[in-house]
Amino acid sequence: MNEVLLGQVRALPALYRDAVLLAARRRLRGSAVRLEVPDVRHRAERIRVDPGALTAFQHLLGEPARDTLPSAYVHTVAFPVAMSVLARHDFPLPLLGMVHLGNTVEHVRSIALSESLDVVAYAENLRAHRAGTQVDVVTDVSVEGSRVWTGRSVYLARGVRLPGTGGASQQGSSGPHASSFVPPVPTGVWKLDGGTGRRYAAVSGDWNPIHLSSVSARALGMKRSIAHGMYLAARMVGQACPAPVEHLRWSIDFATPVLLPGTVAVALTDAPAGTQQGEVPGDQDGADAGRRADARQNGTAPTTSTRTDVVGWSRESNRPHFTGHVERSA
Amino acid sequence: MPESAIPASAPVRKAVVIGGNRIPFARSGGPYAYSSNQDMLIAALDGLVARFGLQGERIGEVAAGAVLKHSRDFNLTREAVLGSALSPTTPAYDLQQACATGLETVVGLANKIKLGQIESGIAGGVDSASDAPVAVSEGLRRVLLDLSRAKTTQQKIRTLARLRPKDLAPNAPTTGEPRTGLSMGEHQALTTAAWEISREAQDELAYQSHTNLAAAYERGFFTDLVTPYRGLTRDANLRADTSREKLATLKPVFGKALPTPATMTAGNSTPLTDGASVVLLGSEDYAREHNLPMLANVVDAEAAAVDFVNGDEGLLMAPVYALPRLLQRNSLTFADFDFFEIHEAFAGTVLSSLAAWENEEFCRNQLGLDGPLGSINRAKLNVNGSSLAAGHPFAATGGRIVASLAKALSEKGSGRGLISVCAAGGQGVVAILEAR
Repeated sequence: MNEVLLGQVRALPALYRDAVLLAARRRLRGSAVRLEVPDVRHRAERIRVDPGALTAFQHLLGEPARDTLPSAYVHTVAFPVAMSVLARHDFPLPLLGMVHLGNTVEHVRSIALSESLDVVAYAENLRAHRAGTQVDVVTDVSVEGSRVWTGRSVYLARGVRLPGTGGASQQGSSGPHASSFVPPVPTGVWKLDGGTGRRYAAVSGDWNPIHLSSVSARALGMKRSIAHGMYLAARMVGQACPAPVEHLRWSIDFATPVLLPGTVAVALTDAPAGTQQGEVPGDQDGADAGRRADARQNGTAPTTSTRTDVVGWSRESNRPHFTGHVERSA
Repeated sequence: MPESAIPASAPVRKAVVIGGNRIPFARSGGPYAYSSNQDMLIAALDGLVARFGLQGERIGEVAAGAVLKHSRDFNLTREAVLGSALSPTTPAYDLQQACATGLETVVGLANKIKLGQIESGIAGGVDSASDAPVAVSEGLRRVLLDLSRAKTTQQKIRTLARLRPKDLAPNAPTTGEPRTGLSMGEHQALTTAAWEISREAQDELAYQSHTNLAAAYERGFFTDLVTPYRGLTRDANLRADTSREKLATLKPVFGKALPTPATMTAGNSTPLTDGASVVLLGSEDYAREHNLPMLANVVDAEAAAVDFVNGDEGLLMAPVYALPRLLQRNSLTFADFDFFEIHEAFAGTVLSSLAAWENEEFCRNQLGLDGPLGSINRAKLNVNGSSLAAGHPFAATGGRIVASLAKALSEKGSGRGLISVCAAGGQGVVAILEAR
């Protein structure tokens, strides 16, 4: 696989701007892009975390301003590298309007504010979804050569069809189905005002227009602006795991978007310890099976773990917004 | 051992200091400018939890407080516990006694341990002068409250019409005493002048504080007492390279309106500081069962207050009155102590206290003693530095002193230490620790 070393991590607004231009160009010329992910990894090295930016992120999420990075913040730091893959001219799916279906993260060890991070991101596993085509973006974060965090984000391009799938495939549909959803007893409620998306954009750098205002969201086919998936994920992880732990795994599947302003009912349920070991996110396609064994040998695999299942839903419509789980081991 | 197994008539148990942790103290507006009290208290707790393996532990009780406190932080300590790695079943309470907050949390929890009510406790305090609460003006507050109760549009309009432009100016917190309007520094200036404490003596104490704190860092004394936070590894106020000459060049800031020459400068007064500290306390059984060190015993404590409002006594002189009562109850004199930790709110506070205890007339008339309480050997005073060098995040100072003194006693292996902390409102708390 080819590797592209990014001299500097580009700001996300510029990537989104390029994406608009690229989309316009593709529309003019007709769709000539091959439907396969480019065989390339993007790498950025020695990324430093700004303490002020970290504090602002932590406070927005209602978390204490510790010297360790919240798991969702690592995603934020690495996000421009992941986005630079999606924004490539040879990337088959349009970046703008892409729907975030879910994340799976393994936080191998607690990461300190003072550490400098190397990030590698690549796309894989392009496959049909009942509503279009989905793809995984894998992000590995390491410190001095050892992996400390891996995230797999799943995105959906609505209406884009892989040749030969005919659009009937149900593969990869994720998240709870609205029809079968029975809301549990809520353990809390998140009241999100109309500025939630803009405030999270400011601390995460993710200025995707669908989160910013009703006008910009409508331009991309949404009824109103919607909450960032990673905002919901960050709150889920922060609530289930308030203090740093040695090893953390979590995943979240998004069902219906959270329209802003809105109220999300949540239920956290502690499950019996170690009932279900999540997949190492990088191993989903089986290509890196050796790494999991390495992790065990290095003593990084968890021994005892506590699992919390989380579900969030709309109090108004009783439709599910997301389900997830957080598994931590000391 | 279950608490109920201890009969009511049982002699009190020993309460021991197991260890402590604090974050380096920062000058206000520095690296902790955007850190809240809860952030810093959790950062101090995190380090304590890591050092003593308290992850998931249910502690008997956690007590802490802050002097400058947002109304939303009504449950500051409990919220910090919930945000920490301690078991969420650990109860907590907030305490506030101005600058004596931190020491008083130690005294309160030590007493509970002695009585067998709890086996372990974490005492502490935190303060941020940077992230201080700013309140709306009284006029705006009244209007907002009345507005929330107004039912008709007419009532709402009438209520809003009461607003004046000046009501929009916020109220920032001050260090002024509510009953006198004087700042703490101006109060101390009165006392400093009354006891004729010289500028040179104050600068010398400040110099010693910096020198002692720097030396303590150099020999690694704080390695197991301090956890770095937000890039800071040492107290930001520490000037290891300060000199008597440099201190002598600073302009006086307090007491300039007095007939006597002003002597109090930014160098011999504590700056506004951000920081947090915590102390782990336990019964001897708890420490043994958990294989934890026992640095010192918390022996006894005494609080006092003075009538400063009409100038009968200096604002920060209450510890001067508390101390003889504490010594008498424990049949001890200054000669029985190896360490004296007198909180340096201002160099003038420490020196006025020392002068008062040496003054026969004062000790007879004010303290009801037969003669002077005595002199303190300056070589035993604040040997690892104190607030002039470290800074003084009000409620965090008690925890800093208790942990440092307990460690100094443990290093020496014998002897006693005396703590004296003055506080706003004319209050003070003194306490005795002893080596094990």
